[in-house]
Amino acid sequence: SIDVLIPSDKEEDPDVIPEDSSLLTLQIRKKALERREETIIVDRACRQETLAYEMESHAIGKRPDNPIDLVEEGELLLTLNIFYPVIFQKHKDHKPYQTVLVLGSQKLTELRDSISCVSDLQIGGEFSSQPDQAPEHISKDIYKSAFFYFEGIFYNDKRYPECRDLSRTIIEWSESHDRGYGNLQSVKMEDYTFNDLSLKIGFPYLFCHQGNCEHIIIITDVRLIHHDDCLDRNLYPVLIKKHWLCTRKCFVCKMYTARWVTNKDSLAPEDPCFFCDVCFRMLHYDAEGNKLGEFLAYPYVDPGIFN
Amino acid sequence: MSSVPGVQADCEELLGAFQEADTVRFERFAELWRERRFHTIFYGRIRALERNKITKKTLELAQQYFLPPYAFQIRVGALYLLYGLYSTQLCQPKQKIRIALKDWPEIQRFQQDLIDSQHYDAAYIFRTLRLARAFLFTAMPKLLNYRTKKKIQENEFKEEFKDPSNRVNSLITNDVLEELMNIHDHYQKMKCVISADKSQPDKALSLIKDDFVVTLKDITLEHHEWQQNRMKLFQNAKETDEIPNRKEEGTLLETEGSERANALARIKYKSYSAVVEVSKSRRHRQVKLESSGSESNHGKSPRRSKKNSGRSQPARRRDSLEIREETVTRHIGMPVITEENSDD
Repeated sequence: SIDVLIPSDKEEDPDVIPEDSSLLTLQIRKKALERREETIIVDRACRQETLAYEMESHAIGKRPDNPIDLVEEGELLLTLNIFYPVIFQKHKDHKPYQTVLVLGSQKLTELRDSISCVSDLQIGGEFSSQPDQAPEHISKDIYKSAFFYFEGIFYNDKRYPECRDLSRTIIEWSESHDRGYGNLQSVKMEDYTFNDLSLKIGFPYLFCHQGNCEHIIIITDVRLIHHDDCLDRNLYPVLIKKHWLCTRKCFVCKMYTARWVTNKDSLAPEDPCFFCDVCFRMLHYDAEGNKLGEFLAYPYVDPGIFN
Repeated sequence: MSSVPGVQADCEELLGAFQEADTVRFERFAELWRERRFHTIFYGRIRALERNKITKKTLELAQQYFLPPYAFQIRVGALYLLYGLYSTQLCQPKQKIRIALKDWPEIQRFQQDLIDSQHYDAAYIFRTLRLARAFLFTAMPKLLNYRTKKKIQENEFKEEFKDPSNRVNSLITNDVLEELMNIHDHYQKMKCVISADKSQPDKALSLIKDDFVVTLKDITLEHHEWQQNRMKLFQNAKETDEIPNRKEEGTLLETEGSERANALARIKYKSYSAVVEVSKSRRHRQVKLESSGSESNHGKSPRRSKKNSGRSQPARRRDSLEIREETVTRHIGMPVITEENSDD
């Protein structure tokens, strides 16, 4: 039994490293701790760490209220890494990604709905002349098509009538000349669940939406569901890890998140320049709402909006 | 970080001491564990996120020792280590041990071996872990993560923990020997059927040695023993001072292969009346050709040259080839033996 392994004679504090330990691990850890004590003034978890830990563990052990939603034994659990589409210079070594858990019996469309990408929220159009009339339609509503690419087959989202087959272009291109790709097929996304697919772990696949916003998807793990996992079907696909992106603040007040970006602005010190709503209006429009100076203004959605 | 610093050294040290102790009893392991106060490996004011990661990595490291090609004793030690680490971890809820699907049949076989060899404490520990739901059944043993490493780390596990790779044994297994025996019997029966005298095969048809299966078994056994002796010599030469980790493994604890081999050899000896007792000669370090005795040399070479044609014989029975006799093959089949046989 466990009593054999832990001496229960005295109370031990897990935070204190025992002095006379023969374990190399503890000696190394002790040195690191001492170094930390010397250099860090306040040693507690920063908010990024708290968020990361919360995200990882918030879904553990949850049970549904409705027994129909209980995940069955023998269900597969996949871990997907969905990479962000932006390519910054500093991301050359490791691209930022978010990690999602999905059940094997879930449809591809459910995953598609759960992917939150900032490009979905973009509002197109230049609105310097009519700042109040920025439309409410975000890109997600206008351009609904999307597809997944797994193992030579394109899974297109065809739930709405305005969804187009984005993969048709690629298929026609590959068939036009003998480019060495096997035949690529195109099917409907809503007819398939993850259990129907045959996938490779660690191999990059694609998710494309908005016509040109491409995300790489990598499957890192497939395993059987465990008693300690979240067993509420409604909560899946569950996000367990997100990359923290710093939001751009308004150039003027440096407090609020930027909502407008201007180009060729004679009133602004740099190009492009970011403003929050209040500062934007105060700077660029007079009391009657007339436009002052020359500029082009676009509504801006910050990538850090999902923090 | 890709590995917790110092954990590998500590685990190897503990497993080495367990191997030293030369037993598979859990009490002994628990003593060693208590000596080192191994449960404190998770101490040191680690915050929750970090602690999850460290525990996961430690369990992953210990799990690697649980699978082949490690020696039996090391694997039992790894099982105890996994049990200890799993029970004494500070994470809540507990981090699980990942086992890949491809390893499960191997582990089940291992458990069956434990039960068969009556190591009930180890089997009980394994069962406790199963009941506590300590295992995660995954497709791949390691969870992937994507960071380009500055340098690729080679996991150098200690050579002494591994079983000496016994290629001969893995080729000539019990199943192979049994099949050989069956085919041999069948062949003999076929020869009887087609000869004039129904009770025994024609003299003209005896093209192979009748007891080659036994000889094969003996050769395998001798090779195994030679390998062990060689390892011992090698280790003794290396050993300069009293480092307990350096002792060679497997001298007292016989591997299962040789246990079964011995049992099978005994059965064979009983069934075959003509016992071919081979004389062992001096061991040499040459890799090319092994001289294990005068008898087996004779048995070896003609067998090699004749076995293949012997198999194809049933198709051509009344050929001119049947003129060849056993005595003639002895001349043809003499290999180039560079060692001499001392006890001839």
